[in-house]
Amino acid sequence: MSKWYESNTSGIVVSTRIRLARNLAGVPFPGRMNDSQRTEVNKKIIDSIMNGSSALSKDLKVVDMDSISDAEALAMVERHIISPAFARNRKNRRLILSLDESISIMLGEEDHIRIQVLKGGLQLFETYEIANNIDTLLSESLTIAFDEQLGYLTECPTNLGTGLRASVMLHLPALESTGEISQLADAVSKIGLTIRGMYGEGSGSKASLYQLSNQVTLGISEKSALDNLKSITMQMIEREQVTCKNFDKISLEDSVFRSFGILKNARLLSSDEMMQYVSQIKIGVSLGIIKLKDENIPIKLMIETQPAMMALKLNSQDASERDIERAKIFREQMS
Amino acid sequence: MMCEQCGKNPATTHVHTVINGVSAQKNLCTYCAVASGYAGFQSGGLMNMLSSVFGDSLAAHPTSNEKRCNCCGATFSDIAESGKAGCSDCYREFGPQLMNSLQRMHGKTKHVGKVPQSASGEVRAAAYLQNLKDELAQAVTSEEFEKAAKLRDQIKLAEAGENHE
Ligand SMILES: [Zn+2]
Ligand SMILES: [Zn+2]
Repeated sequence: MSKWYESNTSGIVVSTRIRLARNLAGVPFPGRMNDSQRTEVNKKIIDSIMNGSSALSKDLKVVDMDSISDAEALAMVERHIISPAFARNRKNRRLILSLDESISIMLGEEDHIRIQVLKGGLQLFETYEIANNIDTLLSESLTIAFDEQLGYLTECPTNLGTGLRASVMLHLPALESTGEISQLADAVSKIGLTIRGMYGEGSGSKASLYQLSNQVTLGISEKSALDNLKSITMQMIEREQVTCKNFDKISLEDSVFRSFGILKNARLLSSDEMMQYVSQIKIGVSLGIIKLKDENIPIKLMIETQPAMMALKLNSQDASERDIERAKIFREQMS
Repeated sequence: MMCEQCGKNPATTHVHTVINGVSAQKNLCTYCAVASGYAGFQSGGLMNMLSSVFGDSLAAHPTSNEKRCNCCGATFSDIAESGKAGCSDCYREFGPQLMNSLQRMHGKTKHVGKVPQSASGEVRAAAYLQNLKDELAQAVTSEEFEKAAKLRDQIKLAEAGENHE
Protein backbone atom coordinates (compact mmCIF):
# COMPACT_ATOMS: atom_id res chain seq x y z
CA MET A 1 0.00 0.00 0.00
CA SER A 2 1.31 3.45 -0.83
CA LYS A 3 2.24 5.77 2.02
CA TRP A 4 0.82 9.20 2.86
CA TYR A 5 3.89 10.94 1.43
CA GLU A 6 3.41 9.47 -2.04
CA SER A 7 0.66 11.90 -3.06
CA ASN A 8 -0.02 15.66 -3.03
CA THR A 9 3.50 16.60 -1.90
CA SER A 10 4.58 18.61 -4.94
CA GLY A 11 3.25 22.03 -3.88
CA ILE A 12 4.63 24.65 -1.51
CA VAL A 13 2.64 22.95 1.26
CA VAL A 14 4.28 19.55 1.35
CA SER A 15 2.11 18.07 4.08
CA THR A 16 -0.41 18.71 6.84
CA ARG A 17 -0.28 17.22 10.32
CA ILE A 18 -2.90 17.21 13.06
CA ARG A 19 -2.14 16.10 16.58
CA LEU A 20 -4.61 15.73 19.42
CA ALA A 21 -3.37 15.17 22.98
CA ARG A 22 -5.72 13.18 25.22
CA ASN A 23 -5.50 11.48 28.62
CA LEU A 24 -7.59 9.18 30.73
CA ALA A 25 -9.05 10.74 33.85
CA GLY A 26 -7.83 9.63 37.27
CA VAL A 27 -4.61 7.90 36.14
CA PRO A 28 -1.19 9.58 36.47
CA PHE A 29 0.23 11.00 33.23
CA PRO A 30 2.96 8.91 31.51
CA GLY A 31 5.72 10.79 33.37
CA ARG A 32 4.42 9.56 36.75
CA MET A 33 2.97 6.18 35.80
CA ASN A 34 4.25 2.82 36.94
CA ASP A 35 4.57 -0.08 34.57
CA SER A 36 1.40 -1.89 35.56
CA GLN A 37 -0.62 1.31 35.15
CA ARG A 38 0.97 1.76 31.74
CA THR A 39 0.04 -1.75 30.67
CA GLU A 40 -3.53 -1.28 31.85
CA VAL A 41 -3.95 2.10 30.15
CA ASN A 42 -2.48 0.77 26.88
CA LYS A 43 -4.91 -2.13 26.94
CA LYS A 44 -7.93 0.10 27.57
CA ILE A 45 -7.08 2.40 24.69
CA ILE A 46 -6.26 -0.41 22.28
CA ASP A 47 -9.54 -2.17 23.14
CA SER A 48 -11.47 1.04 22.67
CA ILE A 49 -10.09 1.65 19.18
CA MET A 50 -9.62 -1.86 17.84
CA ASN A 51 -12.87 -3.31 19.23
CA GLY A 52 -14.91 -0.13 18.87
CA SER A 53 -17.92 0.32 16.63
CA SER A 54 -15.87 2.05 13.93
CA ALA A 55 -14.89 0.49 10.61
CA LEU A 56 -11.55 2.18 11.10
CA SER A 57 -9.98 -0.70 13.01
CA LYS A 58 -9.60 -2.95 9.98
CA ASP A 59 -6.96 -0.59 8.57
CA LEU A 60 -5.07 -0.33 11.85
CA LYS A 61 -2.40 -2.45 13.48
CA VAL A 62 -0.81 -2.30 16.92
CA VAL A 63 2.98 -2.02 17.04
CA ASP A 64 4.74 -3.22 20.15
CA MET A 65 7.45 -0.56 20.49
CA ASP A 66 9.62 -2.75 22.81
CA SER A 67 10.01 -5.30 20.09
CA ILE A 68 11.30 -3.10 17.27
CA SER A 69 14.95 -2.19 16.63
CA ASP A 70 16.56 1.25 17.03
CA ALA A 71 16.84 1.54 13.24
CA GLU A 72 13.14 0.74 12.82
CA ALA A 73 12.19 3.32 15.45
CA LEU A 74 14.41 6.01 13.90
CA ALA A 75 13.04 5.22 10.45
CA MET A 76 9.56 5.87 11.88
CA VAL A 77 10.78 9.29 13.03
CA GLU A 78 12.09 9.91 9.53
CA ARG A 79 8.69 8.99 8.11
CA HIS A 80 7.19 11.50 10.61
CA ILE A 81 4.91 8.92 12.22
CA ILE A 82 6.39 9.10 15.74
CA SER A 83 8.26 11.74 17.74
CA PRO A 84 11.98 11.46 18.54
CA ALA A 85 11.07 11.19 22.24
CA PHE A 86 8.80 8.22 21.55
CA ALA A 87 11.57 6.53 19.56
CA ARG A 88 14.04 7.03 22.42
CA ASN A 89 11.90 5.59 25.19
CA ARG A 90 10.02 2.56 23.87
CA LYS A 91 9.58 0.59 27.06
CA ASN A 92 6.03 -0.74 27.28
CA ARG A 93 4.94 1.79 24.67
CA ARG A 94 2.46 1.00 21.92
CA LEU A 95 1.74 2.54 18.55
CA ILE A 96 -1.49 2.16 16.60
CA LEU A 97 -0.71 2.67 12.94
CA SER A 98 -2.76 2.68 9.74
CA LEU A 99 -1.58 0.81 6.64
CA ASP A 100 -0.72 3.99 4.72
CA GLU A 101 0.81 5.39 7.95
CA SER A 102 -1.35 8.51 7.73
CA ILE A 103 -2.85 7.71 11.14
CA SER A 104 -0.53 7.06 14.04
CA ILE A 105 -1.62 6.95 17.65
CA MET A 106 1.20 7.02 20.19
CA LEU A 107 0.34 5.50 23.57
CA GLY A 108 2.47 6.69 26.48
CA GLU A 109 4.35 9.51 24.81
CA GLU A 110 3.99 12.73 26.81
CA ASP A 111 0.25 12.04 27.12
CA HIS A 112 -1.63 8.74 27.36
CA ILE A 113 -2.89 9.26 23.82
CA ARG A 114 -1.43 11.28 20.97
CA ILE A 115 -3.61 11.00 17.86
CA GLN A 116 -1.75 12.06 14.75
CA VAL A 117 -3.03 12.34 11.20
CA LEU A 118 -0.72 13.20 8.29
CA LYS A 119 -1.56 13.91 4.67
CA GLY A 120 0.25 15.31 1.66
CA GLY A 121 -0.64 18.89 0.66
CA LEU A 122 -2.78 21.44 2.50
CA GLN A 123 -5.61 19.44 4.11
CA LEU A 124 -6.16 20.98 7.53
CA PHE A 125 -9.89 20.33 7.87
CA GLU A 126 -9.81 16.89 6.24
CA THR A 127 -7.06 15.65 8.54
CA TYR A 128 -8.67 17.25 11.60
CA GLU A 129 -11.93 15.46 10.82
CA ILE A 130 -10.17 12.08 10.88
CA ALA A 131 -8.43 12.84 14.19
CA ASN A 132 -11.66 14.22 15.62
CA ASN A 133 -13.54 11.02 14.75
CA ILE A 134 -10.91 8.88 16.44
CA ASP A 135 -11.15 11.09 19.53
CA THR A 136 -14.95 10.78 19.55
CA LEU A 137 -14.64 7.01 19.21
CA LEU A 138 -12.28 6.90 22.22
CA SER A 139 -14.61 9.03 24.32
CA GLU A 140 -17.47 6.57 23.73
CA SER A 141 -15.83 3.97 25.93
CA LEU A 142 -13.22 5.87 27.97
CA THR A 143 -13.42 8.77 30.41
CA ILE A 144 -11.18 11.41 28.90
CA ALA A 145 -9.59 13.92 31.30
CA PHE A 146 -11.46 17.17 30.77
CA ASP A 147 -12.20 20.30 32.77
CA GLU A 148 -14.87 22.86 31.95
CA GLN A 149 -12.43 25.72 32.50
CA LEU A 150 -9.18 24.26 31.17
CA GLY A 151 -10.54 21.94 28.48
CA TYR A 152 -8.70 18.71 27.70
CA LEU A 153 -6.14 18.10 30.44
CA THR A 154 -2.63 17.35 29.24
CA GLU A 155 0.68 16.64 30.92
CA CYS A 156 2.23 19.83 29.59
CA PRO A 157 0.17 22.98 30.26
CA THR A 158 1.11 24.29 26.80
CA ASN A 159 -1.39 21.80 25.31
CA LEU A 160 -4.36 22.52 27.61
CA GLY A 161 -7.66 23.44 26.01
CA THR A 162 -8.18 21.75 22.68
CA GLY A 163 -4.95 19.71 22.86
CA LEU A 164 -4.73 20.44 19.16
CA ARG A 165 -1.45 21.06 17.41
CA ALA A 166 -1.97 21.59 13.69
CA SER A 167 0.98 22.10 11.40
CA VAL A 168 1.88 22.43 7.78
CA MET A 169 5.26 21.65 6.28
CA LEU A 170 6.20 24.34 3.79
CA HIS A 171 8.87 24.38 1.11
CA LEU A 172 10.12 27.99 1.13
CA PRO A 173 13.38 28.23 -0.84
CA ALA A 174 12.68 31.78 -2.10
CA LEU A 175 11.72 33.29 1.26
CA GLU A 176 14.71 31.54 2.79
CA SER A 177 17.19 32.93 0.27
CA THR A 178 15.96 36.51 0.70
CA GLY A 179 16.07 36.16 4.49
CA GLU A 180 12.40 37.13 4.72
CA ILE A 181 11.70 33.92 6.60
CA SER A 182 13.11 35.28 9.85
CA GLN A 183 10.89 38.38 9.69
CA LEU A 184 7.93 36.12 9.04
CA ALA A 185 8.89 34.02 12.05
CA ASP A 186 8.68 37.13 14.25
CA ALA A 187 5.38 38.18 12.71
CA VAL A 188 3.62 34.84 13.14
CA SER A 189 4.81 34.50 16.74
CA LYS A 190 2.74 37.59 17.58
CA ILE A 191 -0.45 35.90 16.43
CA GLY A 192 -0.04 32.62 18.27
CA LEU A 193 1.75 30.64 15.57
CA THR A 194 5.30 29.41 15.30
CA ILE A 195 7.53 28.61 12.36
CA ARG A 196 10.67 26.52 12.62
CA GLY A 197 13.12 24.91 10.26
CA MET A 198 12.88 21.16 9.76
CA TYR A 199 15.88 18.88 9.33
CA GLY A 200 18.23 21.43 10.83
CA GLU A 201 19.52 22.90 14.05
CA GLY A 202 18.05 26.11 15.40
CA SER A 203 16.09 28.04 12.84
CA GLY A 204 17.95 26.69 9.81
CA SER A 205 16.69 24.04 7.44
CA LYS A 206 18.52 21.68 5.12
CA ALA A 207 16.00 21.49 2.32
CA SER A 208 14.25 24.85 2.84
CA LEU A 209 11.48 22.99 4.67
CA TYR A 210 9.69 24.81 7.47
CA GLN A 211 6.95 23.83 9.84
CA LEU A 212 4.23 26.36 10.64
CA SER A 213 1.99 25.45 13.59
CA ASN A 214 -0.37 26.87 16.18
CA GLN A 215 1.05 27.56 19.65
CA VAL A 216 -2.06 28.55 21.56
CA THR A 217 -4.56 25.85 22.50
CA LEU A 218 -6.53 27.39 25.36
CA GLY A 219 -9.35 29.82 24.64
CA ILE A 220 -9.43 29.23 20.90
CA SER A 221 -11.71 26.69 19.22
CA GLU A 222 -10.39 23.99 16.90
CA LYS A 223 -12.10 25.67 13.97
CA SER A 224 -10.65 29.11 14.70
CA ALA A 225 -7.16 27.65 15.18
CA LEU A 226 -7.39 25.84 11.84
CA ASP A 227 -8.84 28.91 10.09
CA ASN A 228 -5.97 31.05 11.39
CA LEU A 229 -3.35 28.56 10.35
CA LYS A 230 -4.92 28.19 6.93
CA SER A 231 -5.10 31.91 6.28
CA ILE A 232 -1.45 32.47 7.28
CA THR A 233 -0.44 29.47 5.17
CA MET A 234 -2.22 30.97 2.14
CA GLN A 235 -0.34 34.23 2.70
CA MET A 236 2.98 32.39 2.94
CA ILE A 237 2.25 30.55 -0.30
CA GLU A 238 1.56 33.84 -2.03
CA ARG A 239 4.71 35.50 -0.65
CA GLU A 240 6.82 32.53 -1.73
CA GLN A 241 5.34 32.59 -5.24
CA VAL A 242 5.81 36.35 -5.65
CA THR A 243 9.39 36.18 -4.38
CA CYS A 244 10.16 33.26 -6.67
CA LYS A 245 8.85 35.16 -9.72
CA ASN A 246 11.34 37.95 -9.09
CA PHE A 247 14.29 35.59 -9.31
CA ASP A 248 16.60 35.72 -12.31
CA LYS A 249 15.23 33.01 -14.59
CA ILE A 250 18.48 31.80 -16.08
CA SER A 251 20.34 31.43 -12.79
CA LEU A 252 17.37 29.62 -11.27
CA GLU A 253 17.31 27.20 -14.21
CA ASP A 254 21.05 26.80 -13.92
CA SER A 255 20.93 25.74 -10.29
CA VAL A 256 17.99 23.37 -10.91
CA PHE A 257 19.76 21.68 -13.84
CA ARG A 258 23.07 21.44 -11.96
CA SER A 259 21.33 19.68 -9.09
CA PHE A 260 19.50 17.47 -11.57
CA GLY A 261 22.80 16.59 -13.21
CA ILE A 262 24.36 15.58 -9.92
CA LEU A 263 21.41 13.45 -8.82
CA LYS A 264 21.35 11.76 -12.24
CA ASN A 265 25.05 10.94 -12.18
CA ALA A 266 26.47 10.80 -8.67
CA ARG A 267 27.96 7.52 -7.44
CA LEU A 268 28.12 8.62 -3.81
CA LEU A 269 25.42 10.75 -2.23
CA SER A 270 25.41 11.76 1.43
CA SER A 271 22.10 12.58 3.03
CA ASP A 272 23.02 16.26 3.56
CA GLU A 273 23.88 16.64 -0.11
CA MET A 274 20.74 14.81 -1.12
CA MET A 275 18.57 17.23 0.91
CA GLN A 276 20.11 20.25 -0.77
CA TYR A 277 19.64 18.92 -4.32
CA VAL A 278 16.16 17.53 -3.71
CA SER A 279 15.07 21.01 -2.69
CA GLN A 280 16.29 22.34 -6.06
CA ILE A 281 14.61 19.49 -7.94
CA LYS A 282 11.37 20.23 -6.13
CA ILE A 283 11.46 23.88 -7.31
CA GLY A 284 12.35 22.70 -10.81
CA VAL A 285 9.37 20.34 -10.94
CA SER A 286 6.91 22.88 -9.58
CA LEU A 287 8.04 25.58 -12.04
CA GLY A 288 7.99 23.15 -14.96
CA ILE A 289 11.76 23.48 -15.56
CA ILE A 290 12.21 19.70 -15.35
CA LYS A 291 9.76 16.85 -15.62
CA LEU A 292 9.77 13.62 -13.62
CA LYS A 293 7.51 10.63 -14.18
CA ASP A 294 5.74 11.51 -10.91
CA GLU A 295 5.85 14.95 -9.29
CA ASN A 296 5.82 13.35 -5.81
CA ILE A 297 9.21 11.73 -6.39
CA PRO A 298 11.34 14.45 -4.71
CA ILE A 299 9.63 14.19 -1.30
CA LYS A 300 9.13 10.43 -1.55
CA LEU A 301 12.84 9.86 -2.19
CA MET A 302 13.87 12.44 0.37
CA ILE A 303 12.00 10.49 3.05
CA GLU A 304 12.93 7.04 1.79
CA THR A 305 16.67 7.77 1.61
CA GLN A 306 17.06 9.28 5.10
CA PRO A 307 19.88 7.59 7.08
CA ALA A 308 17.81 5.18 9.20
CA MET A 309 15.53 4.33 6.28
CA MET A 310 18.64 3.35 4.28
CA ALA A 311 20.19 1.48 7.19
CA LEU A 312 16.97 -0.52 7.48
CA LYS A 313 16.78 -1.22 3.76
CA LEU A 314 20.42 -2.36 3.55
CA ASN A 315 20.45 -3.91 6.98
CA SER A 316 23.77 -2.15 7.51
CA GLN A 317 25.15 0.70 9.60
CA ASP A 318 27.87 1.44 7.06
CA ALA A 319 27.56 5.07 5.91
CA SER A 320 29.45 4.69 2.62
CA GLU A 321 27.32 1.70 1.66
CA ARG A 322 24.28 3.93 2.27
CA ASP A 323 25.74 6.72 0.13
CA ILE A 324 26.31 4.30 -2.76
CA GLU A 325 22.78 2.92 -2.55
CA ARG A 326 21.26 6.42 -2.17
CA ALA A 327 23.07 7.58 -5.32
CA LYS A 328 21.83 4.49 -7.17
CA ILE A 329 18.20 5.13 -6.18
CA PHE A 330 18.40 8.73 -7.41
CA ARG A 331 20.10 7.75 -10.69
CA GLU A 332 17.22 5.37 -11.40
CA GLN A 333 14.43 7.77 -10.45
CA MET A 334 15.75 11.00 -11.96
CA SER A 335 15.70 9.74 -15.53
CA MET B 1 19.52 35.39 48.35
CA MET B 2 16.08 34.38 49.55
CA CYS B 3 12.81 34.74 47.65
CA GLU B 4 11.26 38.18 48.16
CA GLN B 5 7.76 36.84 48.07
CA CYS B 6 7.76 33.89 50.47
CA GLY B 7 11.11 34.42 52.20
CA LYS B 8 11.37 30.64 52.64
CA ASN B 9 13.17 29.36 49.54
CA PRO B 10 16.29 30.46 47.68
CA ALA B 11 15.60 32.95 44.89
CA THR B 12 16.33 31.23 41.60
CA THR B 13 14.42 33.42 39.15
CA HIS B 14 15.40 37.02 38.61
CA VAL B 15 12.72 38.98 36.82
CA HIS B 16 13.25 42.41 35.32
CA THR B 17 10.06 44.39 35.14
CA VAL B 18 9.40 47.78 33.59
CA ILE B 19 6.23 49.39 34.89
CA ASN B 20 5.39 52.94 33.76
CA GLY B 21 9.00 53.43 32.75
CA VAL B 22 10.39 52.39 36.14
CA SER B 23 12.49 49.26 35.99
CA ALA B 24 12.87 46.96 38.93
CA GLN B 25 14.20 43.50 39.69
CA LYS B 26 12.29 40.78 41.50
CA ASN B 27 14.10 37.81 43.00
CA LEU B 28 11.80 34.84 43.37
CA CYS B 29 11.99 31.13 44.05
CA THR B 30 10.76 28.78 41.34
CA TYR B 31 7.51 28.21 43.18
CA CYS B 32 6.65 31.91 43.47
CA ALA B 33 7.90 32.67 39.95
CA VAL B 34 5.49 30.15 38.44
CA ALA B 35 2.64 31.10 40.77
CA SER B 36 3.04 34.77 39.77
CA GLY B 37 3.21 33.92 36.11
CA TYR B 38 6.78 35.08 35.59
CA ALA B 39 8.17 31.77 34.49
CA GLY B 40 6.66 30.40 31.31
CA PHE B 41 6.67 26.68 30.71
CA GLN B 42 9.06 25.61 28.00
CA SER B 43 8.37 22.51 25.98
CA GLY B 44 11.41 20.91 27.56
CA GLY B 45 10.10 21.79 30.99
CA LEU B 46 10.94 24.67 33.23
CA MET B 47 13.40 22.46 35.08
CA ASN B 48 15.67 22.10 32.07
CA MET B 49 15.67 25.81 31.53
CA LEU B 50 16.37 26.68 35.15
CA SER B 51 18.69 23.86 36.08
CA SER B 52 21.01 24.75 33.24
CA VAL B 53 21.29 28.26 34.66
CA PHE B 54 21.08 27.67 38.37
CA GLY B 55 22.61 24.24 38.70
CA ASP B 56 21.22 22.16 41.52
CA SER B 57 20.08 25.04 43.71
CA LEU B 58 16.58 23.72 43.08
CA ALA B 59 17.45 20.61 45.02
CA ALA B 60 17.54 22.77 48.16
CA HIS B 61 13.87 23.55 47.71
CA PRO B 62 11.95 22.26 50.75
CA THR B 63 9.10 20.02 49.68
CA SER B 64 8.44 17.85 52.73
CA ASN B 65 5.40 19.69 54.07
CA GLU B 66 3.96 20.75 50.73
CA LYS B 67 0.47 19.76 49.68
CA ARG B 68 0.42 16.70 47.43
CA CYS B 69 -2.02 15.68 44.71
CA ASN B 70 -4.21 12.85 46.03
CA CYS B 71 -4.09 10.95 42.77
CA CYS B 72 -0.43 11.06 41.74
CA GLY B 73 1.45 12.51 44.72
CA ALA B 74 2.92 15.46 42.83
CA THR B 75 3.53 18.76 44.67
CA PHE B 76 3.26 22.20 43.12
CA SER B 77 7.07 22.40 43.17
CA ASP B 78 7.22 19.17 41.16
CA ILE B 79 4.99 20.74 38.54
CA ALA B 80 6.80 24.07 38.53
CA GLU B 81 10.19 22.41 38.19
CA SER B 82 9.30 19.90 35.50
CA GLY B 83 6.82 22.08 33.65
CA LYS B 84 4.52 19.07 33.65
CA ALA B 85 1.44 18.08 35.62
CA GLY B 86 1.48 14.67 37.31
CA CYS B 87 -2.10 13.75 36.44
CA SER B 88 -5.36 15.37 35.42
CA ASP B 89 -6.34 15.88 39.10
CA CYS B 90 -3.25 18.10 39.58
CA TYR B 91 -5.07 20.80 37.65
CA ARG B 92 -7.97 20.73 40.13
CA GLU B 93 -5.53 20.67 43.05
CA PHE B 94 -3.13 23.36 41.85
CA GLY B 95 -5.18 25.12 39.14
CA PRO B 96 -5.44 28.50 40.90
CA GLN B 97 -1.65 28.67 41.31
CA LEU B 98 -1.16 27.96 37.60
CA MET B 99 -3.58 30.54 36.26
CA ASN B 100 -1.06 33.37 35.85
CA SER B 101 1.30 31.15 33.90
CA LEU B 102 -1.54 29.88 31.71
CA GLN B 103 -2.60 33.46 31.04
CA ARG B 104 0.91 34.30 29.86
CA MET B 105 1.23 31.13 27.85
CA HIS B 106 -2.10 31.15 26.02
CA GLY B 107 -3.43 34.68 26.56
CA LYS B 108 -6.66 33.14 27.85
CA THR B 109 -7.69 30.76 30.64
CA LYS B 110 -11.10 29.50 29.54
CA HIS B 111 -11.50 26.59 27.15
CA VAL B 112 -13.43 27.10 23.92
CA GLY B 113 -14.13 24.24 21.52
CA LYS B 114 -14.85 20.53 21.60
CA VAL B 115 -16.08 18.88 24.79
CA PRO B 116 -16.10 15.11 25.33
CA GLN B 117 -19.27 13.06 25.67
CA SER B 118 -18.47 12.41 29.30
CA ALA B 119 -18.85 16.13 30.13
CA SER B 120 -22.08 17.24 31.84
CA GLY B 121 -25.11 18.13 29.73
CA GLU B 122 -24.74 21.75 30.77
CA VAL B 123 -21.14 21.96 29.54
CA ARG B 124 -22.03 20.23 26.30
CA ALA B 125 -24.99 22.56 25.72
CA ALA B 126 -22.82 25.63 26.33
CA ALA B 127 -20.23 24.34 23.86
CA TYR B 128 -22.96 23.63 21.31
CA LEU B 129 -24.34 27.16 21.67
CA GLN B 130 -20.87 28.72 21.35
CA ASN B 131 -20.25 26.67 18.23
CA LEU B 132 -23.51 27.92 16.66
CA LYS B 133 -22.55 31.51 17.49
CA ASP B 134 -19.13 31.05 15.86
CA GLU B 135 -20.79 29.63 12.75
CA LEU B 136 -23.22 32.54 12.68
CA ALA B 137 -20.41 35.08 12.85
CA GLN B 138 -18.69 33.26 10.01
CA ALA B 139 -21.87 33.12 7.92
CA VAL B 140 -22.45 36.86 8.41
CA THR B 141 -18.86 37.67 7.42
CA SER B 142 -19.13 35.59 4.26
CA GLU B 143 -22.59 37.05 3.53
CA GLU B 144 -24.38 33.70 3.58
CA PHE B 145 -27.64 35.20 4.80
CA GLU B 146 -29.88 32.15 4.41
CA LYS B 147 -27.49 30.08 6.45
CA ALA B 148 -27.26 32.88 9.03
CA ALA B 149 -31.04 33.01 9.41
CA LYS B 150 -31.17 29.25 10.01
CA LEU B 151 -28.38 29.52 12.58
CA ARG B 152 -30.22 32.33 14.40
CA ASP B 153 -33.26 30.04 14.75
CA GLN B 154 -31.07 27.25 16.06
CA ILE B 155 -29.45 29.61 18.56
CA LYS B 156 -32.88 30.74 19.80
CA LEU B 157 -33.92 27.13 20.28
CA ALA B 158 -30.68 26.28 22.08
CA GLU B 159 -30.98 29.30 24.37
CA ALA B 160 -34.61 28.46 25.17
CA GLY B 161 -33.55 24.92 26.06
CA GLU B 162 -30.99 26.34 28.46
CA ASN B 163 -33.56 28.60 30.14
CA HIS B 164 -35.77 25.63 30.96
CA GLU B 165 -33.10 24.13 33.14
ZN1 LIG C 1 9.12 32.12 47.03
ZN1 LIG D 1 -1.82 14.69 40.27
